[in-house]
Amino acid sequence: MTDDTVDADSDLGFDPAVSDRDVPTAARAARASKAPSSSRGGGLRSKVSRKVSSVLVLIGALAAVGGGYSLLAPSSSADQTALSAADVETGRQLYESSCITCHGSNLQGVQGRGPSLIGVGSAATYFQVSTGRMPAAGQGATNNRKPAKFNEQQTQQIAAYVGSVGGGPQVPTGDLRGNPQNISDGGELFRLNCASCHNFAGKGAPLSAGKVAPSLNNATDLQLYTAMLSGPENMPVFSDNQITPDQKKAIIDYIQNLKASKDPGGAGLDRIGPVSEGLLIWTAGLGVLMVAILWIGRKS
Amino acid sequence: MTTLNEAPTVKGARRFDKPRTPQGKAGKFFEERLGLAGGLRKQLNKVFPDHWSFMMGEIALYSFIILILTGTFLTFFFDASMAEVRYDGSYVPLQGVEMSRAYASTLHISFDVRGGLILRQIHHWAALLFMAAMTIHMFRVFFTGAFRKPRELNWLIGLGLITLGLVEGFAGYSLPDDLLSGTGLRIAEAIMQSIPVIGTWVAFLAFGGKFPGTEIIGRLYIVHVLLVPGILAGLIGAHMALLIKQKHTEFPGPGKSEHTVSGERMYPTYAAKAGGFFFIVFAVCAALGGLAQINPIWLYGPYNTAQVSAGSQPDFYIGFLDGSTRLFPSWEIRLWHHTIPALFWPTIVLPGILFTLAGAYPFLEAKLTKDRAKHHLLQRPRDVPVRTGLGAMAITFYGVLLLSGGNDLIAKAFDISLNAMTWAGRIGMLLAPPLAYVIAYKACIGLQRHDREVLEHGIETGIIKRLPNGEFIEIHQPLGAVDDHGHGLLEYAGTPVPKKMNKLGNPQTARVKGFFRPVREKAEIEAELAALEQAEAERAASQRELTD
Amino acid sequence: MTTHSPHPAHAVEPASAEELALMSDEEAMILGAEADGVHIVHRRDRFPIRGTRAEKRAERTIALIFLIGFLAAVGFIVVFCGALPFEWHLPGQGSQDFRYFTPALGFLLGLSLACVGVGIVLWAKWLLPEEEAVQDRHDEPESEAEVLMTAASLVTGFNDMGVARRSMLKSTVGLAVGALAALPLVALVGAMIKKPNKGQGQSLFHTLWTAGTPVVYSDGRRVSTDDLLPGGIETVFPGVPGGIKAGDSPTLLIRLRPGQVVKARKGQDTYQWGDYIAFSKICTHAGCPASLYEQQTGRLLCPCHQSQFDVLLDAKPIFGPATRSLPKLPLGVEVQDGKQYFVAKGDFPEAIGPAFWERP
Repeated sequence: MTDDTVDADSDLGFDPAVSDRDVPTAARAARASKAPSSSRGGGLRSKVSRKVSSVLVLIGALAAVGGGYSLLAPSSSADQTALSAADVETGRQLYESSCITCHGSNLQGVQGRGPSLIGVGSAATYFQVSTGRMPAAGQGATNNRKPAKFNEQQTQQIAAYVGSVGGGPQVPTGDLRGNPQNISDGGELFRLNCASCHNFAGKGAPLSAGKVAPSLNNATDLQLYTAMLSGPENMPVFSDNQITPDQKKAIIDYIQNLKASKDPGGAGLDRIGPVSEGLLIWTAGLGVLMVAILWIGRKS
Repeated sequence: MTTLNEAPTVKGARRFDKPRTPQGKAGKFFEERLGLAGGLRKQLNKVFPDHWSFMMGEIALYSFIILILTGTFLTFFFDASMAEVRYDGSYVPLQGVEMSRAYASTLHISFDVRGGLILRQIHHWAALLFMAAMTIHMFRVFFTGAFRKPRELNWLIGLGLITLGLVEGFAGYSLPDDLLSGTGLRIAEAIMQSIPVIGTWVAFLAFGGKFPGTEIIGRLYIVHVLLVPGILAGLIGAHMALLIKQKHTEFPGPGKSEHTVSGERMYPTYAAKAGGFFFIVFAVCAALGGLAQINPIWLYGPYNTAQVSAGSQPDFYIGFLDGSTRLFPSWEIRLWHHTIPALFWPTIVLPGILFTLAGAYPFLEAKLTKDRAKHHLLQRPRDVPVRTGLGAMAITFYGVLLLSGGNDLIAKAFDISLNAMTWAGRIGMLLAPPLAYVIAYKACIGLQRHDREVLEHGIETGIIKRLPNGEFIEIHQPLGAVDDHGHGLLEYAGTPVPKKMNKLGNPQTARVKGFFRPVREKAEIEAELAALEQAEAERAASQRELTD
Repeated sequence: MTTHSPHPAHAVEPASAEELALMSDEEAMILGAEADGVHIVHRRDRFPIRGTRAEKRAERTIALIFLIGFLAAVGFIVVFCGALPFEWHLPGQGSQDFRYFTPALGFLLGLSLACVGVGIVLWAKWLLPEEEAVQDRHDEPESEAEVLMTAASLVTGFNDMGVARRSMLKSTVGLAVGALAALPLVALVGAMIKKPNKGQGQSLFHTLWTAGTPVVYSDGRRVSTDDLLPGGIETVFPGVPGGIKAGDSPTLLIRLRPGQVVKARKGQDTYQWGDYIAFSKICTHAGCPASLYEQQTGRLLCPCHQSQFDVLLDAKPIFGPATRSLPKLPLGVEVQDGKQYFVAKGDFPEAIGPAFWERP
């Protein structure tokens, strides 16, 4: 058994796989300190509240008719219109106001601050910016999803600018949901390539030594697509030769339908599986029966 | 003894040979053929003690009945075959996927058989309840010393039931051949392989060749629906037969003795309560089965040897083995071109030791305490601090293993490093149990001391009195006769001691009925009731005088 | 029928049939209980005066509970028979009301059963007489004479058979019965037993990979050398019949990132092809697919028991319960239509998956 100190370079998150080979080492040297994330309390609370809400669903299963049909409707991914030269120019301005301090004036990166973005492509840029991971909260902080700083259009513009300068995998355009007939192929590919880290229900999972494969709960079609294409942080890259664009769309179709699907068997217990089931039988199941035996056994 | 109807309503002599009522005629019919009257009455009059903690085993028994009922339904639709088919049922995200018939038929039950899903879910919840109830029943028996002579054999049978329950549960949730249970089967195969010398033979025998083969689901099916349930039913029968022969234990208390058992007669009171409780247990299973989704195999997908999902866990009763496997260090023994894999220790040796210790415990305790007597009166956990401490130690050890079985989910939920969770489990497994022993032991001694204190000095009344010399004292209510120094004369007897004034009890509780306001009877009835109560109080008083 | 009673004060003379015939049911019941060693020490009607308001109220309450149970059961039947749909639909492609079917059934069935159960218990608690009965345990050891006679019967039987004298019979019957007793086990085990590692595709030491086996995706396409990008992984299979379903052949093809160097095991320097490297996906600990790959750190995690392997140390286990490195597949390429496709240069050099006794 070895302990864990080797992952010092993994946490900035934006260490593009497809990039100049010298820059990451420079970046690696820079990222020495690794402060524990401070923004996690909220995550925990929302977890608890999700548990509570799933119990509520359980109790009021018959009465409550949840709204939220908007989740159900196949989300039309961001309107993809061709980006003009003006957009690229706006993107450049946004880049220069928000990204330049860490990634340099020509995307070459800044030693000790951020890696080069040459060759990462608009796809990687789109994913990082639209999920709020970039701009990073601070040097060395674990890079988790947070509210995005830029709106969809601005994100596209920054991505277009980075793509126009350095080249690399492009943000896809058009419908990302493929042929509905292929959803089961998407499921097979999801279970083969994605479920090992992101879990059968897209809940995510811990990786080695504190790293985490995030939940797919909030991921949009385009974010899923660009993540597969760019391999953010420790996620492997899935090239178009390997998983074809059609297959990627099928995977997205499967994931988004999985998330939107209603549970036919009652409250989904957060779709965790045997652990939440075990918890429920020991608390609710045996709890109710303990009350019952105390009542029956009480002298009347 | 009081009888209810002071004036017997004899309409005429009762005669066996000339019954007048239909029931009487039926009774005569059967009595002449079976001759059961004497034996039947013995069972009807059997006395069961009435204590809430004695009903935990009943939960397990009733879950078993529910399992048989729902399981029978499922067998009508389940196809235990590993032959490959292309799914074409209602669940769109799996349409066209190749899968085993076992998985396809489970999807069929879940989506295309009317009510199939709820029956499947009731079955699974009842299985979890069966195991959980057996576990707490075992705790109750352990902590109250109910396993002592003459009940050691029933303790062993109970342990056998839990062991078989594990096997039955594992076989059951493996049947759908989904990705989660297939992963479990893969691990089971690795565990079989890890047995020294014969491991590969065992694995090839069970799986009919190399993993996964085409046999295992069919074999597990017959194990799950015939072999193990048959043995379980037999052992449950033996468990109950011994209970009936030896009669139930009871807690010590006024009027309780080693030679008698007191409580309610089986018929009608106890039977009504137990029968009603069966419906309540079934109600809990049914409600869970409908309101809480369990084992959603359609989310897991069909088993495929190349696939796996993060967060793969067994059902909770196997969880402690998953935990031990995660925690055990990578100690593999390689000798003379042979290997004893690390997997062998936490999955075969460890449960072997745990169950052997549990089975041997009644005999070990008798040997160490040199207690060879028969015991029908139970002990309170606080009165046997060493045993309680050992029990707490065992439960803590089990608990650490169980938690470690879900350590990845804990790591994810609370944002802890997985490696840190593993180390916490390894250290916790060694340190927490002794700590639990010490805490439980001290708690027992403290509780005992408090009981003795109250027996000696009486109950704290909360009334503070100032003595002429200025000293403040609290008035204590003695529980019984006191000696010259005001110290109670009651002996410590291992029975509950009241600690509050309102626990002292009132021999004649007020007859108030009604939920929102008391029920008012007609004046003449009120008067009759008052007269009855008066008479009863007088009778009780005269009886007390007689006995004093 | 006489019973031994440790409470002589309670001893009751057994009654004759004529006497019993003239008694009330309750008196006869009490005598019967006494005959069984059961002393009813306290018995009191909860409603000594019939027809009081309190009694009627209790009865009505219980009846109401039973009635709710009846209605819930009827509701269950109505829902079950089609009041709610249960056919599953994809989101947005049909009614999602199926999600109320099972919860409705569970709620109604649970309610119905709970009402019946609670009603029966209340019947017992509110309406049945209060009663406290004490039963003798009869736990005294059986009388010595009884035991002696039984022992003598057993011994005499043995003597009659001449077990002590006829040692030849004893040993031969022992042999015959012993052999017969072993038969079921022999029959079952004998029928099921399989010699490990014998037969086509049954060896734990070999997989379907051989020299020249094409490396393919799960859909059968061949894997070419420009398919993966650096930091990419793919689960690949031997391109032979049955290769995609075989339990031992899933292999993880990894393309390393620039700058990542793997320290190869002795004698396995040539297994890597460029920055491509392939390991068995089957964990060496318990056989789960170890496939949580961190492309930056080069770590591979198994989701079942959290063994961690370092690909840069040639898939050596660095944390958790696994002891052996993941076996490495020797990679080669062949050119077809001007494109380079991966092939295996041979099988894994060692047994894949969890360890076993015969494994060195």
